[in-house]
Amino acid sequence: MHELSPAPVPVDVLNTLTQRLYHEARLLDAERFEDWLELLCDDVGYRMELKRRRFRADRSPPAAVGVGVVFNETLARLKLRIDRLRSGFVWAEDPPNFVRRVVSNVEVEPADAENEAIVHSVIVIHRNRIDGLTRVFTAGRTDRWRHGKQGWCLAARDIALDHAVLHDSNINVFF
Amino acid sequence: MDVSGLVDTATGRQSRTIYSSEELYKQELERIFARCWLFLVHTSQIPKAGDYFRTFMGEDDVIVIRQKDGSIKAFLNSCTHRGNRICRADRGNAKAFTCNYHGWSFAPDGSLAGVPLENEAYFGELDRSKLGLVPVTHVAEYNGLVFGCFDPDAPSLEDYLGDAKFFLDVWLDAMPGGTSLVGETQKMVLGSNWKLPVENVCGDGYHLGWAHAGAMMAVQSLDLSGLSVGNSSADLDGGLSVAGMNGHMALTALDGVSGYAFYPDPKPMLDYLEANRPEVIERLGKVRGEQLWGSQINITIFPNLQFLPGLNWFRVYHPKGPGQIEQWTWAMVENDMPEEVQATILDNQCLTFGLAGLFDNDDGDNLAACTEQSRGWRTAQMDVFTNMALGRSGPREGFPGDIAAGLVSEHNQRYFYRRWQEHMQAESWAEVPTYNINPLSAQETVDA
Ligand code: FES
Ligand SMILES: [Fe+2]
Repeated sequence: MHELSPAPVPVDVLNTLTQRLYHEARLLDAERFEDWLELLCDDVGYRMELKRRRFRADRSPPAAVGVGVVFNETLARLKLRIDRLRSGFVWAEDPPNFVRRVVSNVEVEPADAENEAIVHSVIVIHRNRIDGLTRVFTAGRTDRWRHGKQGWCLAARDIALDHAVLHDSNINVFF
Repeated sequence: MDVSGLVDTATGRQSRTIYSSEELYKQELERIFARCWLFLVHTSQIPKAGDYFRTFMGEDDVIVIRQKDGSIKAFLNSCTHRGNRICRADRGNAKAFTCNYHGWSFAPDGSLAGVPLENEAYFGELDRSKLGLVPVTHVAEYNGLVFGCFDPDAPSLEDYLGDAKFFLDVWLDAMPGGTSLVGETQKMVLGSNWKLPVENVCGDGYHLGWAHAGAMMAVQSLDLSGLSVGNSSADLDGGLSVAGMNGHMALTALDGVSGYAFYPDPKPMLDYLEANRPEVIERLGKVRGEQLWGSQINITIFPNLQFLPGLNWFRVYHPKGPGQIEQWTWAMVENDMPEEVQATILDNQCLTFGLAGLFDNDDGDNLAACTEQSRGWRTAQMDVFTNMALGRSGPREGFPGDIAAGLVSEHNQRYFYRRWQEHMQAESWAEVPTYNINPLSAQETVDA
């Protein structure tokens, strides 16, 4: 049987990073985007690849140019998305939607670099949009958090969205 | 159902019931989706023998398979025993398709190759030769685009496309290496009638400056026909709305670069255009080589295929009832593009018109709400209008079609609904009018 965690990290690190994920979720629920950006490293990579549905025994080669993405963001690109959301012209977000994130299944393990940690988590984003329209996104996340002078910052996030077909007309939310 | 009163091309009026009626929807499945040539797959998506791709023709689940001899066949994705779906993967490569229910197995050529307990349970009396997968009888390719058609009376694909090929080739035939669709399929369910996104993309330059104002503010890097944020201005001579080509349309700028207006950094693409423009002019002539290749162009092939060279998204809409569609998108590249350019295009297509696309995410709710507002007892009796710039169209030298100036008019939408009405009224292809207005064949003196 697997150990609970391959090499446990100190409890205070586990605590700090778990709290960090909850904090992030609360900032995003409240559309405090600028405060959220403060939690990201300058070289952050924020990625969600497109889903594929293949037979287990499928023998086709990997995609030539790439599978494509939902998000492939640097800090500058995240800012660009936030500029759009802040422009006052994104009608889908006005009136504001009721958005609530649930973060769970947090596991922290050491990374190769001494000042980094890998953090696995699950996020559920509940959105109540137009009238009674309610949509839920579920995704798994694998993060790399880095400890520097300013404390912990998010260096990389890989998001695995659990929907082969998107059941909503936009993804105006961050995971 | 008689639809003669539901669309009035002369005044640009549509009854809202065409977006909500179940009865009309059933008629559309029969008279439009089962009659027209429908896009199935790009040859680049199934390059090798045994490669397959699942798609839909109307609501019929279809599997398109590359054969050993290189040809392409399409079949209904339904077992001939009890009807189960035989393939649930999006695409891939397979030697056979085995049904999950009782294990019948079909070869890539559609033949029924294996039946469990064939002799014991069927006493050897099963005629396997009559139980192959049901083929889509008409499959044809135009420069890499593979289409299927259920109607034996349909015109050939070449005739069906007609003068729209002039615009198709601006992507398909600009460079000698041909084209590819890249990336996984970007699939989204929208609560919209299928006609609304088609009408939006076929001609609606009007909504750009308002519906997409936030996105334009965030990423616009080049001018697109003077269209700027907040609907403040539009250069009405900067583009053309082209229709009257058997229900196909093009909405095009004429500057040769504005396709890349919504790339945060268009430089690598602009360099590619500059380096290769002489060759494209040689291949396609001056009008297309100088003015169209690289421009923002929205191309619509009736009924449900749209693609935009430049912004490089390629899309089909699969109807799922009168009020729902599945929208499928891929990125388009030219095979002669350097790999970094192709990768940038895929990335930017996903950024602008992907599942979290800065532009795409603005449209869905509008289309869904237009659909919902045609369902009420009162709203279903009301009309909507595409009457902008009525009667202001004509021929233009060097181009096919009936043309209105500018990207902002509702000229193309009127032709889309006219075509819809023509098909819905016709009992068969024999009653569907064919027209290529101002045909290129009558303009042979122009250009070369
Ligand atoms: S339904 Fe396919 S084998 Fe029976
Ligand atoms: Fe749009």
